[in-house]
Amino acid sequence: MDIFGEIRESLTEILDIEAEQVTPETYVIRDLGAESIDLLELSISLNSRFKVEINDEEIYLKSLRSCLNGAGANGDAGNRILRQFPFINGKRAGEILGDLEGGPVLKVKDLMSYVSWRAGKNGC
Amino acid sequence: MKLEFKGNRVLIAGGSCEMALCVAGLLMGEGLHPLLTWRSEQGRGKIEDSLKQFEGRFDTAHMDFSIPESVERLFSQMEEGPDYLVDFAQGDYESLVGSADAVLTSRYFTENVSTRADLIRRAARAMLKKRQGRMVFISSAAAWRSNPGQGFYAAAKLASEALYRSVGVEMAGRGITSVTLRPGYVDSGRGGRYIEAHDGAVARTPIGRAIAPGEVAQAVLFFLSDSAAAFNAVEICMDGGLTAVK
Repeated sequence: MDIFGEIRESLTEILDIEAEQVTPETYVIRDLGAESIDLLELSISLNSRFKVEINDEEIYLKSLRSCLNGAGANGDAGNRILRQFPFINGKRAGEILGDLEGGPVLKVKDLMSYVSWRAGKNGC
Repeated sequence: MKLEFKGNRVLIAGGSCEMALCVAGLLMGEGLHPLLTWRSEQGRGKIEDSLKQFEGRFDTAHMDFSIPESVERLFSQMEEGPDYLVDFAQGDYESLVGSADAVLTSRYFTENVSTRADLIRRAARAMLKKRQGRMVFISSAAAWRSNPGQGFYAAAKLASEALYRSVGVEMAGRGITSVTLRPGYVDSGRGGRYIEAHDGAVARTPIGRAIAPGEVAQAVLFFLSDSAAAFNAVEICMDGGLTAVK
């Protein structure tokens, strides 16, 4: 199974939802209603499936808002995201910045990026 | 009363104290498999001597709150995480607050609160995989009513109680619960030394005697059992009435 398939399976098991509800563009918190305890369980599930260390602060973009505090113009905010979350690319950072008003920005594709990045670091 | 247990593997932190050894014996009598942690070779020897009649039915492992990596190593040694955590681990630091050493104070809280938080975190995550787990923290009546010199001990116990209580609040929906037991004057180890050094301590206890380590162990066994599942995120005093009197 590919990374998306594994993550989707974890999400459907933990949140008791249908597989059709999960796409890479699905918001984990806004759309699926994941709560803190669900995210903790998801970390453990992803760690077990992919054998990579999951840092909850990173994968769930927990420090996103604090890292953007005081960011000025001229791409500073985007650069801060790229520095804080090395698994997020420039395009996604731009999307996130345009989406902050809507609530928690975390999407399934961010989880996928994180897992790929960690697996790469592990030399997998 | 016949006690039932959903799980089997019990991690006993601070496993070389007399109360922990009593708990381990009772658990093995119920068919459970304890893993007792030790800080020194002396502690390891004490466990192995005390429990030699149970050879092959328990394990031991090194864990020392003053060596944070030892907590990580402990969990990497366990193939399956624990079903139960019983936490007797606690360092000593008796000092009046006004005369305390700042460096020792900081180290004491790092070891007995921060490193314990890592122990709890790892146990909680292992239990969450199985959606089942029970934690019993052995605090002290001193957490609530400390004598002079026990301020840091009480503060570390209260902070740790809060961590265990929070696990019970946050994770009960996933089958993981916690209880804190606050024994009063127990006639063993640190408690025994305290009783010896402080005349009249036991005399003020309404039951007129110290608590026996075996009594604490029986209570721990009950709190680990399925029968006690509704006790969650709570601190229970077992002090013979000491903290109820003036």
